[in-house]
Amino acid sequence: MIRDRFTAWRILGAVLVLAAALAAPQVLTSAVAQNLAILSLLYAVVASNWDLTLGYAGIFNFAHVAFFGIGSYVAAISTLQFDLPVWWDLVLAVAVVMVVGAIVSALALRLRGIYVALVTFALTQLCVALINSQKDLTGGPVGLIGVPDLQIGDFAFGSDPRSYFYAAEILLIASTIAMRWLATSNFGLSLVALRDYENYAVSRGIPARRQRVLAIVISSIPTSLAGCLYAHYLIVASPDVFSFSLTTLLLTMVLVGGAGTIYGPILAAFVLTVGTEELSSLGNFRYMIVAALIVLTLRFLPGGIWSLRRWRRPAAPAPLSVALDEKGAP
Amino acid sequence: MSAIIVSGLVSGALYALVASGLSLVWGSLGVFNFAHGVLLMAGAYVAWWVSAPDGLGLGLPVGILASLTFLIVAGAIFYFLLVRPWVGKANAELAVIMTTIAGSIFMQNLVLEVFGGRFKTIDQLVEGTVTVAGTPIQAQNLLTIILAPLLLVGLWLFLTRNRTGLAIRAVAQNQDAAQLFGISVQRVYILTFAMSAVLAGVAGILLGGLFNISPDMGTDPLLRAFVVVVFGGLGSLPGTILGAYAIGLIEAFASYYIGIYWTPVVLFAVLIAVLVVRPTGLMGRPA
Repeated sequence: MIRDRFTAWRILGAVLVLAAALAAPQVLTSAVAQNLAILSLLYAVVASNWDLTLGYAGIFNFAHVAFFGIGSYVAAISTLQFDLPVWWDLVLAVAVVMVVGAIVSALALRLRGIYVALVTFALTQLCVALINSQKDLTGGPVGLIGVPDLQIGDFAFGSDPRSYFYAAEILLIASTIAMRWLATSNFGLSLVALRDYENYAVSRGIPARRQRVLAIVISSIPTSLAGCLYAHYLIVASPDVFSFSLTTLLLTMVLVGGAGTIYGPILAAFVLTVGTEELSSLGNFRYMIVAALIVLTLRFLPGGIWSLRRWRRPAAPAPLSVALDEKGAP
Repeated sequence: MSAIIVSGLVSGALYALVASGLSLVWGSLGVFNFAHGVLLMAGAYVAWWVSAPDGLGLGLPVGILASLTFLIVAGAIFYFLLVRPWVGKANAELAVIMTTIAGSIFMQNLVLEVFGGRFKTIDQLVEGTVTVAGTPIQAQNLLTIILAPLLLVGLWLFLTRNRTGLAIRAVAQNQDAAQLFGISVQRVYILTFAMSAVLAGVAGILLGGLFNISPDMGTDPLLRAFVVVVFGGLGSLPGTILGAYAIGLIEAFASYYIGIYWTPVVLFAVLIAVLVVRPTGLMGRPA
């Protein structure tokens, strides 16, 4: 893989994105549009970080759903139950999620392929079970309501939704820069090498498990922050964050957007969040349409929608080649 | 004590039915069917719709027959739409997890649209209470405890004695060699999928007699089946059955002695412990 070259096009793209980021909260003034934009931005953070582990490192896991949910619950519990100042809960959430992520991934990555997916899926279910059982702390199935607003001085974010809009944008832009930088760094290349040619990579001295655990832990940081913002913005933390439907929506963003691209899942996050909202008049049928969309994309566009930008060139080398086959096993 | 064991055996029997279907498909196709729980749900709904007075009202025996026929067809359709295009490709495992999740979303919302969200109940296959060794047991529970092992023994005999069953195992062991011996791999795959769907359907009909049926009734059994197959070892039928009863009993004892809310924590701890010692489950082969 060639290292990123800063061409004029890239600089122009970056300028355009920044301009759009500055303008969007001022232009999109309706409550519905702002709500959709904020949700899209937060989902984009989760999807693109999940993609680092799923697309680049080839670890098919459900851990990011848990990171997102734990982030939102740490925010709610620390502010509501322990009266911790807001902002501190962000630090706490990152710390908690990093510890959980390190422990679970160190254990789960002893396993291979499908077992990693199943164990991390069980982790999300464990979170739901714990939340339902610890009613006094977590509010049980109802969740915790009344998570305080983020505040700067006397300015409460809730008084102007644009502030959450900007906060979510800053998080997404910072996380995207970090993820792209990581993906193209030696660390990212070692992940891709482990994904595609594990035996060779290991024989060249790449510590397989350490790199993979690191990938999960690093990508858990923006994910947990997105969870925090989600709780502060919606003023609730509810077990719905672990639900099958949100899990599927986020996973769809990663795969329909294009695994192993970072940008694809971000694009898909906007398309799918807005799309499912636009189709809401169809009731249950919208989920059936999304389901059909998933199957058709995987069948006819395995590289995801991000692969469309190079439709004239020969097909990209299968970005979805998440290495689960046993050939790589030691 | 005996009541705990009975409840553990009932769950174990149901988990064994659900998980053995998953394990069977994994063994021969090397894919994991996340839509398995939805097949269970669909089986229960068809049985209810055909049998109940507010449906077609044809009585339970016809309902069960219709349900099992439906599942054979549904299993084959699921295979053709959601699995076949990806089998044998480099990323089949991942793609099929996604397509089967998509298939389950589709089916759940279809059922919700057609039958509505209200709970339904299927008549019990057998009613009343039986006393075994001084313990009163609901007859439906007793039937579950007896029927599931019979079915699984039947499955085992089919896989080890019958030519078609041997063909399934041959394909699972070495697809190329099986093909050279004139086995149609395609037909084996369809058959495996249909059999797995029927096993899920039987579990659905039994569950429908014990609890209400709803569009998401398959989710919980599927999650338990995940734990079971990881615990017992994917692709190993004896491991899966052993795992199912172990998980059923652990769950029953844990919810009695530690409390129902801590049971998932206990299950997760057991799961992690087993995997740390034996990364492919009790009797599994490497993934």
